[in-house]
Amino acid sequence: MPKKVRLMLCLVLAVAMAIGAMGMPGAAQVKFETYGPHVDEIIMPIIKDQQARRIAFERGESIVWAGLTQPADIDQAKSLPYADMRMTLGFHMFYVCFNMRKAPLSDPAFRQAFAHIVDRDNIIRTLFKGYMMPMSSFVPQVSSFFKADVPVYAYSLTKAAEVLDAAGYKLDPATGKRIDPKTGKPLAEIKFFTPTYEVAPTSAELGKILAESAQKVGLPIVAEPMDFNTMLDKIDISEFDMYGLAWSLSKNPTHLVSFFHSNQDVEAGYNRPGIRNPELDKILEQLDSAPDLKTAKAAADAAQLILARELPYVPLYSRPYIDAFNKTLVTGYVDMKGFGAASYNNQWTLLNIRRVDRTGKPIEGGTIRWALSEEPKPLNYATASSAYAWEVLNKTVDSLMATHPDTLEDMPWLAEKWDVGVWTVDQGERKGQQGTVITWYIRKGVKWSDGMPFTGEDVKFTIDFLKDNQVPRYLPNTENIVKVELVDKYTVKVYFDTVSYWHIYNADLAFLAKHIWSDVKDYKTFEPWNEPHPTIKGYSKLVGTGPFMVKEYRAGEFVRLVKNPNYWRLNPSGN
Amino acid sequence: MGFRSYLLKRLFYAVVVLFVILTFNYVLFRIMPGDPEKMILDPNFTPEAKMELRRQYGLDDPPLTQYLNYMKSLLTFDLGMSFSTRRLVWSELRERLPNTIVLFMVTFVGTAALGISLGVSSAANRGKFSEQLVMGAGLFAHAVPSFFIQLLLLLLFGYYWPILPIHGTISAPPPDGAWAQFLDRAWHLILPAGSNIVIGFGSWALYTRNTMLEALGQDYIVTARAKGLPRREILYHHSLRSVLPPIVTLIFMSLPGAVSGAVITESIFSWHGVGRYLLDATLQMDYPAAQGAFYLIALAVIISNLLADIAYGLVDPRIRVGAGAKR
Repeated sequence: MPKKVRLMLCLVLAVAMAIGAMGMPGAAQVKFETYGPHVDEIIMPIIKDQQARRIAFERGESIVWAGLTQPADIDQAKSLPYADMRMTLGFHMFYVCFNMRKAPLSDPAFRQAFAHIVDRDNIIRTLFKGYMMPMSSFVPQVSSFFKADVPVYAYSLTKAAEVLDAAGYKLDPATGKRIDPKTGKPLAEIKFFTPTYEVAPTSAELGKILAESAQKVGLPIVAEPMDFNTMLDKIDISEFDMYGLAWSLSKNPTHLVSFFHSNQDVEAGYNRPGIRNPELDKILEQLDSAPDLKTAKAAADAAQLILARELPYVPLYSRPYIDAFNKTLVTGYVDMKGFGAASYNNQWTLLNIRRVDRTGKPIEGGTIRWALSEEPKPLNYATASSAYAWEVLNKTVDSLMATHPDTLEDMPWLAEKWDVGVWTVDQGERKGQQGTVITWYIRKGVKWSDGMPFTGEDVKFTIDFLKDNQVPRYLPNTENIVKVELVDKYTVKVYFDTVSYWHIYNADLAFLAKHIWSDVKDYKTFEPWNEPHPTIKGYSKLVGTGPFMVKEYRAGEFVRLVKNPNYWRLNPSGN
Repeated sequence: MGFRSYLLKRLFYAVVVLFVILTFNYVLFRIMPGDPEKMILDPNFTPEAKMELRRQYGLDDPPLTQYLNYMKSLLTFDLGMSFSTRRLVWSELRERLPNTIVLFMVTFVGTAALGISLGVSSAANRGKFSEQLVMGAGLFAHAVPSFFIQLLLLLLFGYYWPILPIHGTISAPPPDGAWAQFLDRAWHLILPAGSNIVIGFGSWALYTRNTMLEALGQDYIVTARAKGLPRREILYHHSLRSVLPPIVTLIFMSLPGAVSGAVITESIFSWHGVGRYLLDATLQMDYPAAQGAFYLIALAVIISNLLADIAYGLVDPRIRVGAGAKR
């Protein structure tokens, strides 16, 4: 492993340990299990004001103060004797983007020199009191696709000056600016857009710090905070030099295709730097159409190497998930890499969390209170798009695959197993070409919350329903699906018109109960939580396969979830 | 000009103002930086998926078509579907309206009652400590940003002395029984409505005090005193009654401000109302939702102004005569 990479990893570890030493404990106190839940009821009061949520946590009206980002809040939470602080690395990436369509930003030497003027340690220490992780990769460190041994540009103004000198950008002693080797004139002012101090104070301050650092080596970079929407509009039409923003990535490296393939270099496209590198395009196409994980990994590695050299972005830092749980009320929450202990994507916390008695001993049953920060509407699997709605819905629905909290590997869940294969497309525009076929083997004995069996018919119905209705949220999932075939009651084949291992995630959805949804006239206005169940008194049409079911939802006030009596993982035997 | 002509003229103006407001409402949202589709899309959306989405939400229609659809939908109260919650905007507003009205009414009645009574008492005790206290406190509360006072009260009664609920209109879960639920709702009203009253009573008290002082200096009050009428009767039956017309007008004129003030109060106290809905919709570039909420607030403001005009015309005949004379 190169020395620079070792240094970077040591730095990451040191920051993690420093945060740990400041009060972050180790593992959760209850062993992680794949069954549950252990509480009978979850009350989720809707508390929109940030300060009110903090007060609710301190008053014991919410077991968790989730998603802490402000150093002052983290310090406050740490000072509470009953707060158990959890920290996990996330998928967040703050980056600086160059407009590679313009000189001198089109010059790799310029971008590499800029990468050398970034003092991540100092930025994290001064702006974030150490509560961020330095990041210099294009794939999150927690992802299994993260490649460590790529070129790293350590902070060094001397090195930055050397790179610029070697590329011909000589320093003009009279103006203190670098001379453009192509024109022989001093470099023109380069604007660095950030959101305003009012909207994102740390991003605005960061822009100022980086601009000042760049000016020390003669780069005339000037920070320009601006209205967030105006900034996005300018970025969409490539009217920018540089900007600093953040992405929330995922465990898979498919974002590399969206962000850096030349076919995304269009107005409002995601290739905002405008990188057009045929070698990279070829590798990204291999990544996008990889038939298996091995090919995908090789392509992701190769792409990261090119990106580390080309530097369309300079990644700066990643925000970890920091959550405070009230340990006098609950235990059993599970740290999940990339998502955090309190994330709605973390099904393991949901299954393992339990109340504790006065002595701190875990107990079965009872009620926990977990604050929601926004209205969770609509509680409709087909139309819900906000994270707040899914914070509730994810507690009521299971997927075919689960994600391991430590390795982030796919685990069998509602599907006992699956196959990914190749077929010859037999219809449509791509007839005769190769496509992907995914075979799901559905677990027997799984039931909907109203007691009806969950089968392959529900899987086929859901995909057909979403595709036929062109449901917006699921367009990326369904647009390449050609057909769905029910082999038998518990085996379903999903056929795609292109070859890509990633289709496996497109075919794993929040499934709809056929016996409920087949009668839905207009899915857009359907409010399943507001309509009574056709046969069971006291139930609504919000029927899922997850560990909880929505018992009551008072808009603007609270959501009340109760344990699903028909849940398939109530105990270790899975029945 | 008779009262009927005066009323018709006011109604005509109200309709014109409503039309202009709605047009501005349409234009403003569309010239604002940003694009609503960004609130719906994620990087996994292909260009084809983006186009389909724009088509489904009518964002690819020509601006004039969008404008005509917008006006038609507002006039028929078919406010469309929210981009963010995917629910009918009118259903969302209808669900929130009662909460906003309750908060507004309690605030309004409380502010007016406290402000007017303290104004009268200040006028009666001119130069005394009690007058200085009321005026000082009223001016201070009025001058300090409302959200600051509300956050301060939230911290005081929600955290340091945690005796009041800090969010929502009812407990989660609510108690059983209608009476218990009524009391629970009243308990939840204390902080939001109370903080509004603290913020708002000062201007009412000051206005009432000033008009009362003017009235107390009139000859008929001197005569009443000379006749030996009790102080209380002079204050309430003679002075206050004579200054009521401008105060009644002020009541109606202050309605729009109270409606728009709901945005801040509802946000801080997680009050499920129209104000908070408007704020969320604006931040999320949710055109249908924001336009629907603005429409409702614009209607409230215009109706308030119309009522103020009518009240003014009723209590002061010179207004309608003056309007006729101009004509």
